[in-house]
Amino acid sequence: MDRLYQLLQNRIEGSVATPDEFHPAQLTNFGNLFQGTPRLVVSPVSARDVAATVAFAREKRLSVSTRGAGHSQSRIAISDGGILLSMSSMGRILSVDRSAKTVDVEGGVVWRDLVRHLAPHALAPPVLTNNLGVTVGGTLSIAGIGVASFKYGTQGDNVRELDVVTGTGEMVTCSRERRADLFWGTIAGLGQTGVITRARLDLRPTKPMTRTYYLLYHDLASFLEDAKAAMDGGRFDALESWASPCPQGLKPVGGRRQPFARWFFPVHLTVEYGPGHPPDDAKLLRGLKPFERLYTDDIPTLDFFERMTPVFDLWKRGNTWRHVHAWIESVLPWERAVDCVESVLPDLPPSILVGGHVLLWPAKGNSSESRLFMRPPGEDLLGFGVLPAVPPRFWEQARPMLENLGRLTEVMGGKRYLSGYIDWDEEGWRQHFGEQWEPFCALKRTYDPDSILNPGFVPFPAARPTGATAAG
Amino acid sequence: MPLDFGTPEWARALAGAINASSEYRNSGASWGVGFNGNILFVFESGGPLDRTLHLLVRLEGGACPGAEFVPGPSHPDAGFTLRAPFPVWREVLTGKMLAATAILTGRMRVEGNTITLLKHAGAHRSLIHCVSSLDTRFPGA
Repeated sequence: MDRLYQLLQNRIEGSVATPDEFHPAQLTNFGNLFQGTPRLVVSPVSARDVAATVAFAREKRLSVSTRGAGHSQSRIAISDGGILLSMSSMGRILSVDRSAKTVDVEGGVVWRDLVRHLAPHALAPPVLTNNLGVTVGGTLSIAGIGVASFKYGTQGDNVRELDVVTGTGEMVTCSRERRADLFWGTIAGLGQTGVITRARLDLRPTKPMTRTYYLLYHDLASFLEDAKAAMDGGRFDALESWASPCPQGLKPVGGRRQPFARWFFPVHLTVEYGPGHPPDDAKLLRGLKPFERLYTDDIPTLDFFERMTPVFDLWKRGNTWRHVHAWIESVLPWERAVDCVESVLPDLPPSILVGGHVLLWPAKGNSSESRLFMRPPGEDLLGFGVLPAVPPRFWEQARPMLENLGRLTEVMGGKRYLSGYIDWDEEGWRQHFGEQWEPFCALKRTYDPDSILNPGFVPFPAARPTGATAAG
Repeated sequence: MPLDFGTPEWARALAGAINASSEYRNSGASWGVGFNGNILFVFESGGPLDRTLHLLVRLEGGACPGAEFVPGPSHPDAGFTLRAPFPVWREVLTGKMLAATAILTGRMRVEGNTITLLKHAGAHRSLIHCVSSLDTRFPGA
C-alpha cells in the first residue's frame, strides 16, 4: 500500500484510490492518445476536500490533474505519477434561483443532469455543448461552445461566479467584479490557475418546443452567405452545420486510388416556440437560398438539447468511441473560411463520417468576453472541426495529415480550440495566446506558484514539482 | 534505365510524366488559371548535393508546357518559388514527408502567395508524385 494513501485519506472526507483500484478509463482520456498511471485517484466530496488535496500535493511535491468526464484529447485530464482529482464525485446541483435566473452547481455536474433538472422550471443554460455528457468544470476550463454560441458566446461567458481552489490550496470566490483576474484566468484557463468547485451559471427561459429547418447547400460560399444572414437576423435560437460527403468513387492520390467525395453542407436552423404559437416558416426562411429544403422537425426542447445522444450511442455501439480521437477544431476568420475549408475537404476520405464528423459552426467574435478563449479578430468567424475516429492501427498514417490540417488553419489565421488534439511546442503556445501569453504565465505564477496543477499540457516557463511527471 | 537528377533529360521526362498523369490533370486543373502557376524548385546544396539546382516547372490548367533546370537564384517566369535543402527534398520526394508538412513547418520556404499554394495542396501532392514516379538516380544514391 502506498504510504501516502492513508495520509491523504485521513485528511479528506471523500475517497482515495490506489492503482489496484483504478478504472482503466482513468488512465487515458477521450483522445485515447496519451496514457498515464496516477499515484492516487482522489474523489472529493467538497471544496474543502479539494483544498486539502492540493495542500497535500504541494507538501509532498506531487502534481494534481483535474478530470471531469475526461473528454479532452491531449495531455490533460490524465496523470502519470501524480494525483488525479476525479471531479465527477462533486456532481450536486446546489440551488436554482428562478428570479435571478441562475443555478449553483458543483464543478463535476454533468450538463445533461443539469438540463434535465432545469427543464421543469422552463430554464436552461444559454449555451450547451453538443455532447452533454461532459462536466461544467471541464467545459468552463476550455470555453464551451455550442449551437447557440453565435448569440450567447461561450459557456464561460455565461458564468456569474466561481469558487476556485488555487494551486496554493486557497479557496477563492471570484467573479467579473471580485478577483476578476482569477475569474478570467479560470474561464478557458485549462485548469492552470485552480480547480472549479462551484459555478453560478446564468440561465435563460425556454419554450417547450423547437422547430428545426433542415436546409442543404451545395457550395460553401452560398452556405456562408445564408449563415451570416441567419446569425445577423436574430431569427434563430440555434444554428448547426456540417460538411457531409457524397462518395463519388476512387481517384488516384499520390499514385494510390482512394475514395473521394463531393461535399455538401447541411444546415439546421432552430427556433423555440410555445403552445399555440407555431413559427412563421415563410418569415423565418425569407431571403435564404438553400439548394434544397429537406425537412422540418418539431421536437420538445429538452429532446433538442439531447439531440446528439443517439448519435454518440451509435458511435459507442460501433466501437468507434474507443478509437483515437485527434480532433482538429479551429476558429477561422470569415474571409479565409472558404479558402481553408475548400483546401481541406478534397483530401478528406468519406470514411471520416464513421464515428466522426466535420463540423462548421458560424459564430460571432464579439459574442465572447473571454480573455483566454482565443479567436481571430473580426465580427464573423467560422468554427471548423474535423472530428475523426481513427482506428489505432491507422493513427500513424493519419497523424501527419491531421497535424498539417491544424497547421493549415493556423497559417490561414485561425485559432485552435483546445479541447482537441494539440501538438505544439512552447512557441506554438506562445503564438496561440499572443498578447495573452505573458498575462497567462503571470496568472500561473500567482495562483499556482509550484506548477502543480495540470502539468504536461501548457509548457509554462516554470519549474515542475519534484516527483511529478507530465500528466500524460 | 534511371535518369540522373539535375540533367535536361530528367527535366524533360518530368514534363512528360506530368502531362501523362490523369491525377495531375484533375487535381491541377485550376492551378495556374488566372495567375502565374510556374514554380521554381530550388534544391539547395546539402548532403550529397554539392551545388544548388534550380528547376523551373511551367504549369497551367493541369498541364506542363515545359520543365528545365535554369540558373538561379530566381527566375522571372516563376510565380512561386519553393526552397529547401536537398535532404528535405529527398524526404518529400521519397514520400517520407508530405510537402505540406515541409511548408507548414518552415522546412521548405515559399516565395509567392502561400495561401494560394496551400489551397491547391492536392495539385502539388500529385506533382510530387510525378517526380517520385520517375526512375531517378539521385546524388548519393
